[in-house]
Amino acid sequence: MNAIPFAWRSLRRQPARAALGILGVAAVGALLFDMLLLSNGLVLSMRDMLDRAGFDLRVTATDALPGQGPRLPKGLATAQAIAALPTVQAAMALRFADATLEVPGRAPLESGFQGVGGAGIRPWTVLRGRELATAGDVLINENVARTLGVEPGATLRLRPTCAGNDSLPAQTVTVAGVAKLPFDTLTAATVIASMETMATACGGDDSGDADLIMVGSRPDAEGNAGSDAAARAIAAAVPELKVLTNEELVGRLERGGFSYFRQISTVLTTVTLSFAVLLITVLLTVSVNQRLGDIAALRALGFSRGRVVSDVLSESGLIVGIGGLLSLPLGWGLAQLLDVILKRIPGLPAEAHFFVFAGEAVALHIVLLAATAVAAALYPVWIVARLPIAATLRNEVVS
Amino acid sequence: MTTATQSAGGPGTTTSAAPAVIEATHITRVFPMASGQVTAVADISLTIAPGDHLAIRGPSGCGKSTLLHMLGCVDTASSGTLLFNGRDVATLSDRDRSLLRLTQIGFVFQRFFLLPMLTAWENIELPQAESGVGKAERRERTRELLDYVGLGKRAGHRPSELSGGEMQRVAIARALANRPRLLLADEPTGELDRTTGDQIAALLDRVNADGTAMVLVTHDPSLADRCQRVLTMRDGRVESETTR
Repeated sequence: MNAIPFAWRSLRRQPARAALGILGVAAVGALLFDMLLLSNGLVLSMRDMLDRAGFDLRVTATDALPGQGPRLPKGLATAQAIAALPTVQAAMALRFADATLEVPGRAPLESGFQGVGGAGIRPWTVLRGRELATAGDVLINENVARTLGVEPGATLRLRPTCAGNDSLPAQTVTVAGVAKLPFDTLTAATVIASMETMATACGGDDSGDADLIMVGSRPDAEGNAGSDAAARAIAAAVPELKVLTNEELVGRLERGGFSYFRQISTVLTTVTLSFAVLLITVLLTVSVNQRLGDIAALRALGFSRGRVVSDVLSESGLIVGIGGLLSLPLGWGLAQLLDVILKRIPGLPAEAHFFVFAGEAVALHIVLLAATAVAAALYPVWIVARLPIAATLRNEVVS
Repeated sequence: MTTATQSAGGPGTTTSAAPAVIEATHITRVFPMASGQVTAVADISLTIAPGDHLAIRGPSGCGKSTLLHMLGCVDTASSGTLLFNGRDVATLSDRDRSLLRLTQIGFVFQRFFLLPMLTAWENIELPQAESGVGKAERRERTRELLDYVGLGKRAGHRPSELSGGEMQRVAIARALANRPRLLLADEPTGELDRTTGDQIAALLDRVNADGTAMVLVTHDPSLADRCQRVLTMRDGRVESETTR
């Protein structure tokens, strides 16, 4: 009987203690797994959202994050020029403003107001109704539709606040469709119109200015993403503007606010692992101390020091291994619950997730638990390895 | 029965020309204590030949068990030399001493020390598996040993399901599993009633008669009287030795 079946039998000898140890590791392992998912989850989620939106480059006036810096003068024209580059598939100019939406019989609704221009890919999905087609058309998101009770074909009054000017007259616009926008927050009210409609609503004095140009690159002949080639082409065509790939944007987010999650995760991971080590060390030490006579007898019968050490290590490995396996589904379930709670943080896109399943997290989870099993076994292994056979047998008889 | 017991008991019968299993020369064991050094065994010389049947007697604390542990290579002498099969035990590594115990020495303890999570069969099989005996041979040897100690029908029972006498029988079978040259027993009847103790003593006699050298530590005069040699100790020294 080699060490692992022997260790399994030893665990079964004390089923309640073994079960407690395994459940303890499962609980701690679940928290550890969640911390590992949390450390990178939002970054992975943002990267996925950016990729799914269909654009892989952002063009802005400065190094500020999109929407947070100065505007691009004549952004629409610039978007059209960029779209004409051979390495570019589509370019869309985007301008951000605010608006108050009014429908008779309902309270006015403060909303985000986005103007878009340029042909090609659209990042939203029309759920009901149709795309923007004529001047005066708008798309609304579900929150607007629900709050104001409007559906495609309805009209509403839109009072924009453009460049700080909140005294502009209200315009009547037609709801062309209800759309889902990838970066909307849970509570966001958003209305989208063409840049021409927005310019009209904003008084017509800044037609074509944009906060951001979103660019989709053309894949190369082998079908690989052409982001780098497109970025170089755009930088050569409009050297005064800044081009940001999705990777660079994610990198900035990672270095910015998202780094808190990694720091919190690191601290909690360390605490969690420490608890796991202490828990298993205590269980194994108690178990070993209760079996000192048996272990000394085995040594007297000729079992080598290495063999009894490997028995203890195997016991630790089994507790951590079984607990670790249980911790994965448990941790994933817990992550779903925590994700729902954390997604209530204001300002986060509704599509974003804090916990994203990743193979690297599972691999790291396994490595950390394996290290935990070894670290937790160190003290009991030390007891077993240094056990004086004769003195222990004598003590067992005397006691 | 004779064939089975011979193979169960040991390599063969005593011959005066055979080399000694153990030759201890002036062995001493000193334990350092906070209150000063305590000499548990002092200057004992002893030879155990194949097939010997030796009892060590004496009052509590006289050094019987310490001597037994040194003879069984689980403790080392502070001074003097102890040869096992002609090899100086002090020169062996811990691993080699373990191997020596596994293959050449059998231990029977007062408290049996059977592994509670294993059946009688598995307890007997364990030392064989550890020494690398093949599965088929292990099965045959374990069956043979269970029959030898009269527990052929209790193979699947765990120690908690056995009586004290049955547990000690399993422990004896386990000690014989690898056909040791020397069987050491520390108060083998100490936890048993008189009748059961007599049965165990008879079993040990049979093991010795089948050729395995045996050293018993006992307080029990009736058990000691069954032995060919009796060593009486006092204060760590041999007070007397009688041979029948």
